[in-house]
Amino acid sequence: MTVAARLDSITKRFGPVTALDAVDFELAPGEIHGLLGENGAGKTTLACVLGGLLAPDAGVVEIAGRTVALRSARDARELGVAMVHQHFSLVPRFTGFENVALFNGEAWTRRGTVERTYRKRVEARARELRLDVALDEPVAGLGAGQRQRIEILKALMSETRVLLLDEPTAVLAPQEVDGLFTVLREVAGAGAAIVLVAHKLDEVLAVADRVTVLRRGRRVLTEEAAAVSARGLAEAMIGEALGDGAGGRGGADNGGGAGDHDGPAATLTGVTVDSPGAFPLRDVDLTVRRGEILGIAGVDGNGQRALAAVLAGMVKPDSGTAVLPREVGWIPQDRGEEGLVRDFTITENVALALHAKAAYRRGPWLDWAGIGDRSAALVDEMDVRAGSPDARARTLSGGNQQKVVTGREFLRAGELLVAESPTRGLDVKATRVVRARIADLVKAGDRPPAVVLISADLDEVLELADRIAVMVRGRLIPVRPEDHNPTAIGALMLSAGGPGT
Amino acid sequence: MSAPIPSPARLPPQLRATITAAAAVLATLAVAAVLLALGGHSPGAAFAALARGAFGSWDRFVSFTLVRATPLLLTGLAVALAFRARVWNIGAEGQLHAGALAGVAVALLLPGAGIALALPVTLLAAATAGALWASVPAAMKTGMGVGEVITTLLMNFVALFLAQFLVQGPLREARGVFNQTDEIPAAARLPELLPGTRLHVGFLLGVVIAVALWLYLTRTPGGFRIRAAGASVRAAEVSGRFSVTPVVWLSFLVSGAIAGLAGWIQVAGVTWRMYEGLSPGWGYTAIAVALLARLHPLAVVVTAILFGALSAGGGAMQREAAVPEVWVRGIEALVILAVLTADRIVQARARGAGP
Repeated sequence: MTVAARLDSITKRFGPVTALDAVDFELAPGEIHGLLGENGAGKTTLACVLGGLLAPDAGVVEIAGRTVALRSARDARELGVAMVHQHFSLVPRFTGFENVALFNGEAWTRRGTVERTYRKRVEARARELRLDVALDEPVAGLGAGQRQRIEILKALMSETRVLLLDEPTAVLAPQEVDGLFTVLREVAGAGAAIVLVAHKLDEVLAVADRVTVLRRGRRVLTEEAAAVSARGLAEAMIGEALGDGAGGRGGADNGGGAGDHDGPAATLTGVTVDSPGAFPLRDVDLTVRRGEILGIAGVDGNGQRALAAVLAGMVKPDSGTAVLPREVGWIPQDRGEEGLVRDFTITENVALALHAKAAYRRGPWLDWAGIGDRSAALVDEMDVRAGSPDARARTLSGGNQQKVVTGREFLRAGELLVAESPTRGLDVKATRVVRARIADLVKAGDRPPAVVLISADLDEVLELADRIAVMVRGRLIPVRPEDHNPTAIGALMLSAGGPGT
Repeated sequence: MSAPIPSPARLPPQLRATITAAAAVLATLAVAAVLLALGGHSPGAAFAALARGAFGSWDRFVSFTLVRATPLLLTGLAVALAFRARVWNIGAEGQLHAGALAGVAVALLLPGAGIALALPVTLLAAATAGALWASVPAAMKTGMGVGEVITTLLMNFVALFLAQFLVQGPLREARGVFNQTDEIPAAARLPELLPGTRLHVGFLLGVVIAVALWLYLTRTPGGFRIRAAGASVRAAEVSGRFSVTPVVWLSFLVSGAIAGLAGWIQVAGVTWRMYEGLSPGWGYTAIAVALLARLHPLAVVVTAILFGALSAGGGAMQREAAVPEVWVRGIEALVILAVLTADRIVQARARGAGP
């Protein structure tokens, strides 16, 4: 068999984190190869190594049988490797055609104008690939599916051996996904190898010839798609969690008495939110009591964002009712953009929560001394490693930033804390600190708050949660206590592709 | 961790900023010296004349430098406040004209009023007019998402033409010779700040506003919101749990009001009449004044005086050293470029040093 590309024992480290650990990977011409794994498993890193965007620390990259040293995406491009990113790189004001021409150097004459015949070539290529693209409209006005098709056309204008697609379905509506797959089959049929990075199992199985699963930077499986089940892949992705899930759930023990502290801290009844783009919420019922952690598992982008915003009181439901505490702690998913003002000091970031409270005002003035004391105490309690509370948030590591956000939101969480992927991207130590603090929170005092833990990390949910529900396509499905294991939850995460869509 | 916590937004980074700014100004003078020499002038003589014109005597400093600094101080504060909230108010020039027109119109309508009435009423009218002028772009930004850079800028032209129309028509002086208004009654004029000089209380008012803005931004919940919204709208909404819209409105209106005061204070303290071309572009120079001060209200007092000194010294430079005054504009531009460049270098360093 000829090989379109081969990665041999690739290792890539980012500081202390090993993103790829001696990974082998092989692509045959004309195949669609699904690359699966949980968040942080190394999928995108692998694609970037092949696409020339990241240089590996060790290992060999071969393209069409030749060992190559890729120094840039351009290098990879010249060898016929094209990458379509999750976030598109199109000029919004340019039309589809202008974007295609801009990207492809061979479209240009020496005088700096686009070759007159290029338009015909673009149209012919689009016809060949059966790509339905709007070539004459400014990209700014197009939907995600249209933009993606332009991105693909752009990548495929010159000869392509390997096409890398990073989470291409993440931005698409379900109907558009089918269209994309038709195109991919067409491209593969013409002889190119396609790498499809994804974490939605059912979609990958629907189109891929082979699949590879990565877990924590290691390759754990490569199989013919026909030979594996969704359940088997889910287990491979989650892996060792099976053992953890059975033994390590300290939370489950006090789960029995958990509901007794008080009435519900928050109740959602039939909550529906229509949001363009992301998955909306559909008819969500949810009750969470003081002293318990409700874990919401699910693949990213199934409505978790909207659920968090509703629980935090930032978004009003379009229908249904939400009974919520007056103040809710919310650890948002994106700590850099939403959780913190990076140019503020730790104390000023803490003040984001305290500045509105009467206790931290003296007449018209903010009580900076009081806020400073609270901030210093928080730095202590959360074990934030910073020179002083006057350190700018920008200068802290991700883990320490998250500790600041977590500690601050605890100040608001007298009744309810919503924690959205609270340990994503943190190292092991910081993860342990943040999880321990959240576990302690619901045991604190006579009237502990309730916690809603929204996380794509199934291990985290199993470790912390007393009760678990799964979020799929905007719906919330409760999980029975006897099903609190990765296999059953994994199956639920997949199940709901069916009804209602 | 029991050490006393000083309130935030304090010294070390700002001390560094001050040093950077000072170094940039010095570097500018060095570059300007070279350019002057290349242009066939004597840099020493030019700078000496400039310094004499700005600081040569107590009266030069007070009656020229500080008087010229006053409109720059007020418009500079207006711009600094807006920029702090990430409201790009390029419209101080227009708001200044609106304020000047309103002040003059009210002053001329109240010929018999005593100073106790005329001063507060005219100041209030000017501030209100400036705020109203700013409210149009504010409404367009918050209501329709129209970028304020364009709208505030365009509103400047509207204000300038309105001023032209009024001083040629309805508000034209009674004797009808020049395109200017009648002199405002004595009761509406700003008192001298230092007897025997031309410095009026407008300068003091500017300093008071600078201190008030500084206290507001650093010590009050409202000011904190302005800083948070200016640093990150998303973080302000998600982590601060407040809507940015009222913050934008407040910043726009107060910024406009201060710029409006600048116009009327110039008329009431210096010219006593409104005429075409009242402002040589203070509302635009104000952007440089504010940026040079890193949008810090107290630093605006210093940078406004610096630009006031350049303006006062420029005339002297032309008279005494025969260096055309346009060189002063060049030096102003160099100062801005040097400070912005130094700023970037320092920021890049800070980022590179971080983990």
